[in-house]
Amino acid sequence: MPIVLEKLSHVYKSGPHTSHALRDVDLTINDGELLALIGHTGSGKSTLAQHLNGLLQPTSGHVLLDGQDINGKDSSRRALRFRVGLVFQYPEHQLFEETVYKDIAFGPKNMGLKEEEIDARVREAMAIVGLDFSEISKRSPFELSGGQMRRAALAGVLAMKPQVLVLDEPTAGLDPRARDFLLEDVRRLNRAGTTVVLISHAMDDVAKLATRVAVLEKGALVMDGSPLEVFSRHERLGAMGLDVPQGFRLARLLREKGFPVSDRCLLEDLAGELADLIKGGSGHAA
Amino acid sequence: MLRDITLGQYYPVDSPVHRLDPRAKILLAFLYIIGVFLVKDLFMYLPVLLYLAMATWLARLPFPMMAKSLKPMRILIVFTFILNLFFGTGSRELLRLGSIVIWEEGLLNALHFTFRLILLVTGSSILTLTTPPVTLTDGLERLASPLRVIRFPAHEMAMMMTIALRFIPTLTEEADKIMKAQTARGADFETGNLMARARAMIPLLVPLFISAFRRAGDLAMAMEARCYRGGEGRTRLHVLKFSRRDLIAFLSMAGLFIILLLPGILK
Repeated sequence: MPIVLEKLSHVYKSGPHTSHALRDVDLTINDGELLALIGHTGSGKSTLAQHLNGLLQPTSGHVLLDGQDINGKDSSRRALRFRVGLVFQYPEHQLFEETVYKDIAFGPKNMGLKEEEIDARVREAMAIVGLDFSEISKRSPFELSGGQMRRAALAGVLAMKPQVLVLDEPTAGLDPRARDFLLEDVRRLNRAGTTVVLISHAMDDVAKLATRVAVLEKGALVMDGSPLEVFSRHERLGAMGLDVPQGFRLARLLREKGFPVSDRCLLEDLAGELADLIKGGSGHAA
Repeated sequence: MLRDITLGQYYPVDSPVHRLDPRAKILLAFLYIIGVFLVKDLFMYLPVLLYLAMATWLARLPFPMMAKSLKPMRILIVFTFILNLFFGTGSRELLRLGSIVIWEEGLLNALHFTFRLILLVTGSSILTLTTPPVTLTDGLERLASPLRVIRFPAHEMAMMMTIALRFIPTLTEEADKIMKAQTARGADFETGNLMARARAMIPLLVPLFISAFRRAGDLAMAMEARCYRGGEGRTRLHVLKFSRRDLIAFLSMAGLFIILLLPGILK
């Protein structure tokens, strides 16, 4: 179920001000991909995300899902929302039910599923995000820790079994442990076949997960390619106020000092290469 | 992401009217309302309308927007016109349709009420369109401060209003975000009967209240951390000052009053 954005533009209007949030964005999101969307604050990432399931309608241009315009006359936006799951920033702020179970069941219930199917989906979603069903499902979502609340909210979207999952800065405000948990969940979902669009400021997360990186600047798509391709244009990224992954930066610094390492996004990969280099050519440094 | 927050209905451009002292603007709006009620002859609405048009032009407000401020009032305006037209009694008959009689006095009354409503609404909207709400409450506080002698809590009222106004855009934004998040989970806010719609608001209202309480707690803490302890002895960063501009505005209003009162005096 590829998503194709054609010349997508969006303009926000308020009083005498207009602001172009998106300008002629052409982008294809392929099945099974883990696409990272990066860009400076205000570059239009969240606006783009909200177009993917019809929450916002383009000022001009089209969003095609399986070749069908999602804002066309004969397409049901509601049914579409069940296929593209959108997890907003700080999704724990949307929790509202008395129990975690009921909250996660909210989406499937809106889909009109049967009681047994809902139950199965809640259990499955909780298992994916690593929340213990017997311990947590009957508790109030407001008693949970921050990381648990985030995962419960994520489960609320996963229970709808979307084919495409859009995550808007899913790790913002989480401690390192909770962040690793969550990223691992995302990776697992992607391996199981869910297409993922990840919006993030954390370049190390992007390096760890993404198979493809798209860069937005002032509403326009300026780069699109593999993580290595995009991050190797680090000067341009720096001018946009964007970072590169630590592994990438270290590789550059090492090369400046005369170590012939290649560009790597991940510290782990770089460490491996460096170790081989030191072991293999012990006479090299001298 | 972008500054698309509409505080009240403030229209943020720079104009001589925007720069008037808020106290002056509040008093002028008050005088203007009195002025509208002083009109006895239909033709005398013309100078009021001209005054309004001049103020709109000086304030750099687009005229279509002024017309739009009447939109929520349109049903009320039409109703008052019809009711006054058909249910008035008088001495001179204008039109007879079966048992319904339209009297000249009824027509005059209907026209008076309609003009008054339109002029009052558009006139007072100039005040809110050209003054940011926080400045407006500031002005109100200063105008009401003499009432402290009778123990009217002017500062507290103004602070409450300021905080409430400050949080309207924040909560609107928050509500919008939560609504979108729940819509993404298949919530439906638009269809169904009254009960179904009321129930559909729960997923929106619960998170909204929780966030409002959290923000209120944070704000109280932040205010205390900066030693807020009420209005006693508090000084201001922006001290309101009457200027020549305000004097000119008051003189123009005096001019309007002279025109409105002149026919009565000459009689």
